Amino acid sequence: MTATNEVVRLGSAKGGWFRQFGWRHLVGLLALAFSLFPILFVISASLNPLGTLSSSTLIPPDTGLENFTKLFGTTSFSRWFLNTLLIGVLSAVLSMFISAAAAFAFSRHRFKGRRIGLVSLLLVQMFPQFLAIVALYLIFAEITDLYPAIGLNTAWGLILLYLGGALGVNTWLMKGFFDTIPKDLDESAKVDGATHSQIFFGIILPLVVPILAVTGLLGFINTVNEFLIASVFLTDDSSKTAAVGLYGLISGERNANFGVFSAGAVILAIPTVVLFQFLQRYIVGGLTSGAVKG
Amino acid sequence: MAEVVLDKINKRYENGFHAVKDLDIAIADGEFLVLVGPSGCGKTTALRMVAGLEDITSGTMTIGGKVVNTLPPKDRDIAMVFQSYALYPHMSVADNIAYGLKIRRMDAAEISRRVERAAQMLELGNLLDRKPKQLSGGQRQRVAMGRAIVREPQVFLMDEPLSNLDAKLRVQMRAEIAQVQQDLNVTTIYVTHDQIEAMTMGDRVAVMKAGVLQQIGDPQHLYDHPDNIFVAGFIGSPPMNMALGRVEAGNGDLAVRLGAATLALPGAVAAARPALAGYAGRDVAVGIRSEDMEDARLARGGDDLPRLSTTVTMTEALGSEIVVHFVLDAPKVVTEDTKALEKDAHSSDVALHDRGTRFRASFGPRSRVRNGDEIEVVVDTERVHFFDPETGAAIRS
Ligand SMILES: Nc1ncnc2c1ncn2[C@@H]1O[C@H](COP(=O)(O)OP(=O)(O)O)[C@@H](O)[C@H]1O
Ligand SMILES: [Mg+2]
Repeated sequence: MTATNEVVRLGSAKGGWFRQFGWRHLVGLLALAFSLFPILFVISASLNPLGTLSSSTLIPPDTGLENFTKLFGTTSFSRWFLNTLLIGVLSAVLSMFISAAAAFAFSRHRFKGRRIGLVSLLLVQMFPQFLAIVALYLIFAEITDLYPAIGLNTAWGLILLYLGGALGVNTWLMKGFFDTIPKDLDESAKVDGATHSQIFFGIILPLVVPILAVTGLLGFINTVNEFLIASVFLTDDSSKTAAVGLYGLISGERNANFGVFSAGAVILAIPTVVLFQFLQRYIVGGLTSGAVKG
Repeated sequence: MAEVVLDKINKRYENGFHAVKDLDIAIADGEFLVLVGPSGCGKTTALRMVAGLEDITSGTMTIGGKVVNTLPPKDRDIAMVFQSYALYPHMSVADNIAYGLKIRRMDAAEISRRVERAAQMLELGNLLDRKPKQLSGGQRQRVAMGRAIVREPQVFLMDEPLSNLDAKLRVQMRAEIAQVQQDLNVTTIYVTHDQIEAMTMGDRVAVMKAGVLQQIGDPQHLYDHPDNIFVAGFIGSPPMNMALGRVEAGNGDLAVRLGAATLALPGAVAAARPALAGYAGRDVAVGIRSEDMEDARLARGGDDLPRLSTTVTMTEALGSEIVVHFVLDAPKVVTEDTKALEKDAHSSDVALHDRGTRFRASFGPRSRVRNGDEIEVVVDTERVHFFDPETGAAIRS
């Protein structure tokens, strides 16, 4: 045995650096290109003054902001954009809050119907919402007659609908998180004299900020991107969301308005990116460490 | 300040498990009562019923003369220290301590006065701005204590507050908690599975087994006069030695045969236990504490002292004493109680079953006994305990 005193170095195997690490970079770069391509394409289309689908290339021959001026000048995009923000923020915040309250009850309290409630939330969630779209439309048509303020063509009606849709998943997601917070904390607060709502707002909510950030962000993204239900519910030009409005631009003559459509899509992406940057630091675990044990 | 009375308290969980059975305890104003027993015997359940965190299935609970059965925890004027400490992770030490006072809308000046005093008492002064995760185990324990102290409640409830600390810190905190309780003179119920904590801290100790109160009394009384085999084996370290012996009655005096040896019992022993004569000719469980045995060569009083002859299997020199292990040629006592004790200690002498019973005696430090020596062990027969081998109850009157 002559090889016994040969020094073995980490990473010195045959093939060297590439076998060890290089291929991961390659995979990473491929994935990056794959996901960046559509974004680059849309950005370049939005800057391309020719503004048609057929004239769009990855690197436009000429750049300018004509599509953006046209977007704000000739369409109600600013209105659609505000509608989208309003609906997105409100349904995200409200559904976050309602789900947190429901999750608190399911996680902390024992009551009749708890198990059934949890299971039915899950079951209902398994059916895609658009299966119910006809029924929902009929219900809201009726509501529009009785209470026009929360009926069709209003942001409120749509928010109401989105709230119901997100409740199931969010509640389950949050309940799982709530369950990891030691019950001793609640009981200690209870002995200290806290009420249920003081425990919920003062003890539990601060400890579940990460999951609140996640559900809030997902809620916002889903609402901003939601098209199907919004397109059925919002038909007035002034009540449309950006997704519905932008689709209207290209549904007739797909080719001609593509530049304007792309410009809208780029602007629509901004709030999501900003929100993500802002919430990123809350989406970290470890907030409950140090609660118990030594 | 208040007295706490548990009157025939029962707890049956939803799954039907009967965790606490007919618990009767009256805790005097300012008293430090320790509830001790092996893990799973229902101590926490009992404490949580006092706190109001667990419904009482039946019985009456009074605090300060008021029935509290249906009162929520916040209206019972109690403070609880949890086994896990249950500190709020997102709050500083000061906020943790002040939480209960803020919730009760006490004015800020009074809050900071109380927090400061508690912090001083527990030496937390320079930690008030830290978060719980920046504290050591002992410091967290103190914060948990502080949170209870500032409330100035009628009753302190503590559930194994030291079980998460290492042995050395535990000894230190044991003394601190006892000191704090003494200074504040607040009625305290302290739950532990550690009989040393129970002995050293409690004004009185209540021993529980499987949801049933076995005996309650001051620590020395439990040690000297255990009511049954379980208490005898649970209280004291090392546990009481126990073997089956036979009571013999001859010309008026009683004697007990332990293996090959026969120990004559002084008249006073029999007189103090009138029932013992009734066991003549029958087996009894004989309990002897390690310190009630001595190396015959060291014992004063001559050759006529009652003694056992045996062979040393192991010695442990502790400086102040020598613990001598030997096997007595008498059968082991096997009852419900001894099984529960073995389970608690995770020990079993199965291998010894037919050879005899393992005994531990503590000899004076001048004993020269070594492994393998043939020795004579003098027994202080005035301090021998007798129990019914079936029921496990002490044989007295
Ligand atoms: N919520 C519950 N439901 C059913 N059984 C329980 C519940 N909590 C505790 N128990 C049972 O009651 C017994 C006593 O528990 P506990 O009071 O925690 O014991 P200890 O504190 O003495 O270790 C145990 O056997 C435990 O398994
Ligand atoms: Mg316990």
